[in-house]
Amino acid sequence: MNRLPRIGILESGASYHTFALEDPRIASFFARQIYLPTLCAADLADLDALVIADRLHPGLLRRQAATLLAFANQGRTLVVLGEVEAHTWLPGVHWEARPTNFWWWLEGDDPGVRQRSPEHPLWQFMTLPDVTWHYHGFFRPPAGSTPLVALEEDGQEVGQLLYEDRISAGGRLVVTTLDPIYHHGSNFMPAATRFLENLLRWLQWELDSDR
Amino acid sequence: MQRFRQRVRTLDVYDLPAADLTDVRGLLIGMHCDQRQLQRIQTKLTDFVTQGGRVAVCGQIAHPFLPGLSRFIPLTNYRRDDLIVYARTPHPVWAGVHLDDLTYRRGVAGFYGRGFHTPPAGTVVVNGLGLAQLPLDFVYRLGRGEVLVHGGNDLWGYVADSTSAHRLTPQLLDWMERV
Repeated sequence: MNRLPRIGILESGASYHTFALEDPRIASFFARQIYLPTLCAADLADLDALVIADRLHPGLLRRQAATLLAFANQGRTLVVLGEVEAHTWLPGVHWEARPTNFWWWLEGDDPGVRQRSPEHPLWQFMTLPDVTWHYHGFFRPPAGSTPLVALEEDGQEVGQLLYEDRISAGGRLVVTTLDPIYHHGSNFMPAATRFLENLLRWLQWELDSDR
Repeated sequence: MQRFRQRVRTLDVYDLPAADLTDVRGLLIGMHCDQRQLQRIQTKLTDFVTQGGRVAVCGQIAHPFLPGLSRFIPLTNYRRDDLIVYARTPHPVWAGVHLDDLTYRRGVAGFYGRGFHTPPAGTVVVNGLGLAQLPLDFVYRLGRGEVLVHGGNDLWGYVADSTSAHRLTPQLLDWMERV
């Protein structure tokens, strides 16, 4: 029988990283929790996937870019959560910031969040309401990647809040602008919790199916 | 904080071990800081306060990094009434700030605090959360200095607020410089 896929998470000691990873609903997905300031390649050797927690220190990530890219280039999966300035250290990422739309739900605005690639297995685990909350900006993914959650402004698609990229590295990059660990670990916003849990369920299923 | 750049400079938490704090009056420690790192340098932070410095800690504490700090306790199954901010003891940092401006943002409660920390004995609780007046904002002495704790989003995040909450940032800096 094959072993279960091994997923690691990179965190950096913010209260919400710790509180989210003390929650068994989240912690149980991870074979290893790795503290970013002491990350070394050996920490990643036996992992199939690495989740980069949202709101990690971008300067430390830039210093570790070679290690993280080497991991992805070995055919493995890197899941990059939001607010980590991924466009400064990850290939193929183009970022455009937007003023945060904190109040979309109060104003009855359509926040413009749209499902893409409905045939993608992610959507067997995720619903559109799970990804419909405030955002800080969007990505313009490289050609050939798979859009998963798009953002529309005035009826025009401007970019992606979540996409899968099998082009830019030897493995798979899953990149999102959303920052669910911050919100889940701060005891705030149930949609962020559902997004995080469902993303991890999909990831586990996907890694299992790869073998 | 742009308008306060004469009074505040930014220090990366990973540069803190080597930083010279001789001329620093106070430290603002924000909600996104690496608290494992702060805990690792707790001797330096403690010395800073006991020798007369003032520290403002915002956010939820997971890794206590100063004597008297403890882990954050979130409210569970809370209702709107549990999120109302109540004044307990006047303090210059909150002088002239209407508590409704802290409790509500566009009529929604819960942004200012959704839980509390247990303060050390002898602590002055400034603002309490809900009818139980749980310790949300408090100040305690540590040696010759003082520690101010706000168990929610950074107080200086209200700097450009259109309500009385914008007073928090200049008053916090005044309080630190008045040592």
